[in-house]
Amino acid sequence: MNRYPNHTKKVLHGNAAAAEAAVVCNAEFIPAYPITPQTTIVEKIANKVADGKTGATFINMDSEHSVFCAAMGASVCGVRIFTATSGQGLFYAHEVLHAIAHSRLPVVACNVGRPSFPWNIWSDQTDSLAQRDTGWIQLYGESAQEVIDSVIQAYRVCEEVNIPGLVVLDAFYQSHTSENVWIPSADLVNQYLPPLKSSELTIDGWFSKAYGGLVPPAQYDKFNHHFWKEMSRVEDLINSTGKQFKTVFGREYGAVEAVNISEKTKQILVTLSSITSTAKGVLGGHKETGLIKIRLFRPFPKKSIFEAIKNIQDDCSFIVIDRNYPGEIEGTLMQEMKRVLYGRKHPVYNVYAGVGGRDVPPDTIEKIIEKFRKKEVARDEVSWIDLE
Amino acid sequence: MFHNNQIIEIRGHARGGQGMVTAFEILAAIFSKAGDYEVQAFPFFGVERTGAPIQAFLRISKNPIQNRSNIYNPHLVVLFDEGLLDQVPVFDGLHPDGAALVNTEKPVNEIPRLPGGLKTLFTVPATSISIEKKLGSKALPIVNSAMIGAVIRILDGDISISKEIIRDEVPVKHEENAMAAEQSYNSLQEHNLTPLKQEPAKVTAPVVNSPDEVPFAPYWSKPLSLNKTGNWRVFAPQYVNRTPPCTHYCPAGTDVRQFVKLTAERKFAEAFETIYKHNPFPATCGRVCPHFCQQNCNREGFDDHVNIGAIERFLGDFSFDLKRKPVPVTRKEKIGVAGSGPAGLTAAIRLRQMGFPVTVFEAHSAAGGMMRVGIPGFRHPEDILDAEIERITGEGVELILNHKITIRDIENDFSAVIVATGLHSGSRMNIPGEEHAVDGIRFLYEAKINHNNFNVKRGEEIAVIGGGNTAVDVARTLLRLGGNPTIFYRRTRNEMPAIPHEVDEAIAEGVRVELLSAPLKIDRNTAGLEIAVTRMKLGDPDSSGRRRPVPVEGSEIIIKAGKVISAIGQTSDNHFFSGNHLSVDEGRIEFRSKIPVFCCGDLSGGGTITEAVGSGNRVARQVNAILYGIPYTPDPVKNDMVMPNEMKFIYYRHSLRHPNPVIIKSDWHNDFSEVVQGLSEKETVAEAIRCLHCGDCYLCGNCFNYCPDAAIYLENGNKLHIHYDYCKGCGVCAYECPCGAIVMK
Repeated sequence: MNRYPNHTKKVLHGNAAAAEAAVVCNAEFIPAYPITPQTTIVEKIANKVADGKTGATFINMDSEHSVFCAAMGASVCGVRIFTATSGQGLFYAHEVLHAIAHSRLPVVACNVGRPSFPWNIWSDQTDSLAQRDTGWIQLYGESAQEVIDSVIQAYRVCEEVNIPGLVVLDAFYQSHTSENVWIPSADLVNQYLPPLKSSELTIDGWFSKAYGGLVPPAQYDKFNHHFWKEMSRVEDLINSTGKQFKTVFGREYGAVEAVNISEKTKQILVTLSSITSTAKGVLGGHKETGLIKIRLFRPFPKKSIFEAIKNIQDDCSFIVIDRNYPGEIEGTLMQEMKRVLYGRKHPVYNVYAGVGGRDVPPDTIEKIIEKFRKKEVARDEVSWIDLE
Repeated sequence: MFHNNQIIEIRGHARGGQGMVTAFEILAAIFSKAGDYEVQAFPFFGVERTGAPIQAFLRISKNPIQNRSNIYNPHLVVLFDEGLLDQVPVFDGLHPDGAALVNTEKPVNEIPRLPGGLKTLFTVPATSISIEKKLGSKALPIVNSAMIGAVIRILDGDISISKEIIRDEVPVKHEENAMAAEQSYNSLQEHNLTPLKQEPAKVTAPVVNSPDEVPFAPYWSKPLSLNKTGNWRVFAPQYVNRTPPCTHYCPAGTDVRQFVKLTAERKFAEAFETIYKHNPFPATCGRVCPHFCQQNCNREGFDDHVNIGAIERFLGDFSFDLKRKPVPVTRKEKIGVAGSGPAGLTAAIRLRQMGFPVTVFEAHSAAGGMMRVGIPGFRHPEDILDAEIERITGEGVELILNHKITIRDIENDFSAVIVATGLHSGSRMNIPGEEHAVDGIRFLYEAKINHNNFNVKRGEEIAVIGGGNTAVDVARTLLRLGGNPTIFYRRTRNEMPAIPHEVDEAIAEGVRVELLSAPLKIDRNTAGLEIAVTRMKLGDPDSSGRRRPVPVEGSEIIIKAGKVISAIGQTSDNHFFSGNHLSVDEGRIEFRSKIPVFCCGDLSGGGTITEAVGSGNRVARQVNAILYGIPYTPDPVKNDMVMPNEMKFIYYRHSLRHPNPVIIKSDWHNDFSEVVQGLSEKETVAEAIRCLHCGDCYLCGNCFNYCPDAAIYLENGNKLHIHYDYCKGCGVCAYECPCGAIVMK
């Protein structure tokens, strides 16, 4: 039973795990606004605050825009922030997401993915993927365990580079799915996650500071350049702190997870989030099919992908599964994979699957594998597998 | 059979609110803890609402579960609500070796739509078990713990560990939930079925299917009426007519809200009839009733109570122009009534309206009882009372004045007698020197009827003992006779039984009030009277709930006064019963006579005109019932009054109350004109419009506007209806109803 020392095993769903994460990371200020399917995160945190399980200040704000503004304001005071939202809430906060990132505030938030319009509350990553250019680090996972672990790691990395991070959960298949979760003790988390250090931006109480003023052209790019330098370190940081994670907690994480990839691999599925689990279950019957799970979506982990595919042949194809529709021809993940694979000879196929919460059972994965195994598929074909 | 599977997949079907999602989470926790299994439990919600069909999934495995999709080929289907059998294809995709668990008490052959290939069926009476353990309500029993017990039994799980985990996980009723699981674990029934070749009819009720073709943007072009969602409902809203506080507190039984509403609609004649049905003295009561209706008006919690008294007074005065005809005499039993006060005359007119010949005997030279002899003209002009009594005699009630009768005088000529002789003797103070005091009720009678001024000298100091309306009326009369009255009352203003505005008016006119003061003795000497008065303080509450006054030691003072008038209460002289002292209750009393004897009015309790009127109404019904051998049942007490906290004041506009104009004069000497004036027609209607319509739909349209399912419609422009085919029972209408006229049942 004691698979992970200094942990407590509980059966929790992803949203409850997110709430546990906020507590074990000792988030001190938690502004939030409930929205389906994120609501139980807020409820569990509110209960924990009410029961005195954490000393955090919890404020039920009047909107997500206010939530992220409050997060920003509190963060400049040098306290650790947690919040969570979903879909419309994240869209509503969009402009503040930029402000938090480029004010270099290491806020960590969870997003439970749902699409925008047509109206829908089910599993879909359109909301968070649409925030890819706001400057937030984005992590995706497939289990409730990964929610708690990713939040811990996000604080570690975000506070090191002063960039905010978004930990994304799939609606229902992750947010509402109860499973075994190992919750690390506070002592264990403290070994891994140092206390939040104040930076030169932090309000210290003696000298007043003002934020958000106009930055003229002669300086603007310098701030971007600072940001760029730090963002360029993040992929390596995720991999190095993911290895350290194993020494402390016993579980290892990287920017990507490669499954069943070798020189014999003929096709590689590229996935985000909970579809990964189902795909892994199907791979057992397909020796020539591998899988890359994108865990770090922002910055996109080019180096880690190259490392994972270093042995494959030129004719090995990539099948990128998008559970989002960005209003373009190709899905968001496909666009990212294409720029990674620029100049290489691999066929890269795009499949839309599970959009708007449509279930993706093993049969759908089998269908995808079969479809693209055939040589006659056009290289730039975009498949809507659920509608075929 | 489950042991052969590497992974067990279970699919549950229930309605939102039955606790299935929690049940599956608890089952996952049980297998995680008890068997170190990998587990996965998750729901599929449609649009989450109580009562909507939902699904939940549970995977249990010794190995990591590499599947995060719904369950299509379950090894076990768990059905929380057998009603779903006709609505949802619950057995779709059941594994060839799969089994089903149904919450039902029916025998197997009565369970519809079981799949033909089903070999094993489990049944459990989870609903009965949950109701017995008081889990949820009878309308919506929460069956989750009972269903957990059944699943644990099917999967060979450990019930004692399960009980422990249930105790930990459920938010309330820990033990009851654990017991429900155990009881259901023990009462599970397994039925081995012979597979049928033929499949039963499939569910035909609408199932959410994806259309093959969709337009380029979503919209709904068909009538919304196609989407019947009424079967999601557990509790249904209903329009009800509930009792408003004004009506609830009216001792006469008047439908106050109704006459106020009719007044607002300027239907004055109908409004008057509404009062007259219960109270033949609206013009009188409009002036002198304490108006329990307006004291309890829910508007008090918003801005200021509706001036119902002024509305009643307006209708009473308006009614004198209306003509009424007597009903013919259709009954042979003659009814005698002793006393022409509000109780006697009310009973008389009720019986007259039923067709009885009725004769009222009055001891005094004018009818009206206490309304005539106990209430001064400056509060209640005599012509108003005359008009109301003329209306009663005009309806055929015979009135005989100057006849102080006893039971023996009439028992030979009548079939029944109602005694409503009231309380016309003053109570004794029981202090030394009491004989020097004048009885207050006697004083009012003499002053009004015989124009006796008691030789009150201008500026003469006069002590009035008591705190009721009689004391206040005595003081104000003395003031008009030229005296300088001071009221001595042993408690505080809060406990004074007199109508508060009367006390205010008396003080404004120049009456002094000494509170927490009681006389100890009265001495006469050559200069006049000397009254020893002690200060009092309030002690513990007495049987009436008012705090008992206790003398303060050593606080005695001597007051000099020309006269002392005592008005501390009244008793009966028992003349009617030939001096026999009887303790009487309202209704038929035990008394040796040839005819049945009934009592009503002050004699049987109360103390206000409106209570006497109510008492007259009830006794008239009882007389009729007893004479005709009909069982008499008192009016049932209604417990559905709309409480102030049920009112949604945010939906009302503030408006100023229209108070009665009060005449202010610096000197009232020899002036007995009416002090309080009525409202004009315009003001009366404006005041009636202030009514909040507690417990009575007034077509504000909130329910119509707020219903998220457009299930409320207006019929003929004047009545709202709920279309139960579409009402999901969300309760928004009941919550937003400003006046408590929608309840969830």
